[in-house]
Amino acid sequence: MDKLPNRFAPYDDRTQPAFKVEGYKETITRVPMQGFYKRPATLTEVTGPLNLARKLDADLSDLSRAKGGGRDGKDGARAMGQLIFVTGRLLDEDGSPVRNSIIEVWHANSAGRYIHKMDAGSPFPEDPNFFGSGRCLTDHEGRYQYISIKPGAYPVPNHPQRWWRPPHIHLSIFGSGFMSRLVTQMFFPGDPLNAQDRILNSVPDPKGRERMISRPIPMMELPRADVVGFAHDIVVRGSRATPMGI
Amino acid sequence: MGKFVPTPSCTVGPFFPAHYFGPNDNDLTVTSNAAGASSKRAQGTKIYIAGTIYEADRVPRWNSIVEFWQADASGHFAHPNDPESSKADPDFMGWGRRASEDDGYYDFITVKPGGYKDPLTGLVRAPHINVSIMGSGLMRRLVTTFFFPDEPANAGDPVFNAIPDAKVRERIILKPAKFPRAPADALCYRLDIVLQGEDETPFFLD
Ligand SMILES: [Fe+2]
Repeated sequence: MDKLPNRFAPYDDRTQPAFKVEGYKETITRVPMQGFYKRPATLTEVTGPLNLARKLDADLSDLSRAKGGGRDGKDGARAMGQLIFVTGRLLDEDGSPVRNSIIEVWHANSAGRYIHKMDAGSPFPEDPNFFGSGRCLTDHEGRYQYISIKPGAYPVPNHPQRWWRPPHIHLSIFGSGFMSRLVTQMFFPGDPLNAQDRILNSVPDPKGRERMISRPIPMMELPRADVVGFAHDIVVRGSRATPMGI
Repeated sequence: MGKFVPTPSCTVGPFFPAHYFGPNDNDLTVTSNAAGASSKRAQGTKIYIAGTIYEADRVPRWNSIVEFWQADASGHFAHPNDPESSKADPDFMGWGRRASEDDGYYDFITVKPGGYKDPLTGLVRAPHINVSIMGSGLMRRLVTTFFFPDEPANAGDPVFNAIPDAKVRERIILKPAKFPRAPADALCYRLDIVLQGEDETPFFLD
């Protein structure tokens, strides 16, 4: 079996979002006030579930089609919107591929509406052919890919300081262990709403923000002619201890 | 430190899909969500852990995503970083997930984890469960660890003792309890999770 990461330094605050985000009122009442305790990493922290596909269905990589409630995207009617193909590699801090890892993908439909009871008050229409969530598994190179439709923007509801969330895709990634767990969002390059999104811009380091924005894939490099392609590499925490004496 | 920088975390938001939850995701004693799957269950003492999640001012917090990660009943992990991974229970994955309900209630069925001598620090870890909490308003996940009552090993546990104040440590010790929803054959414990407040749950630097 591969040697997996066993070193997990705390995140660098400059490259990660602030806990409190101005205008995002839920960050005021849900973030601990009493600070965080530093603890050593032991076996429970450096291990994690490697076989989640036993329990979670990982073969849901076409979000653009609904069939049987949308769980099987192989055929069925297609959701409205621009078809997109998203691919990239899942890497650790050494740049090594994270293999066989589940990536959960969910996002709004092309009108900016989620299938969720929390979005029942949305002014935007549901799309009966868009289920809104899927999963894929990384391969031996750490590569993942999925097909979907481009999500629409939506306004953050019920906030004193409203703003538009730019089109984005939510990602939940397990990596090689408890300390590699990452929940993040992927944004689209060149979207004018990116500059005003309080969530994207809560990361102080501009390079950190760039790590959340995908890149366009030239059409001739795409596997098919009906999709707009976006490349997005993702790095999860974890490195391997340098051997003694090096 | 490696040369690649981790992608920034971002809030899970309010719209984590309900479809992501299988019927057994919060039951760690089984390894499948399929109906009629093998009835083999994890070895060990079956336990039920439940409680309420609160945000500031003791307002119940629903729609929080809670995840468990723990050793099997003998203190092993099915992961190559565990030198004794070959001894891990094949019918135990150690992972579970649950969204808190409208009144903030969460619950898990699992087995009591074993303690172990930690190969990284050389110290003895008391039986414990690592817990992640994600949700709208949390730009990063929160992590804490649950411990068991009346465990002599708690006194030497390096994570338990990373919290200097005994009063604060008490907030992550499971409390024996009874719940109408618990399986009849499970030992039951309660632990409320307070995201913010005077009696805030201690969370660890992630
Ligand atoms: Fe969103």
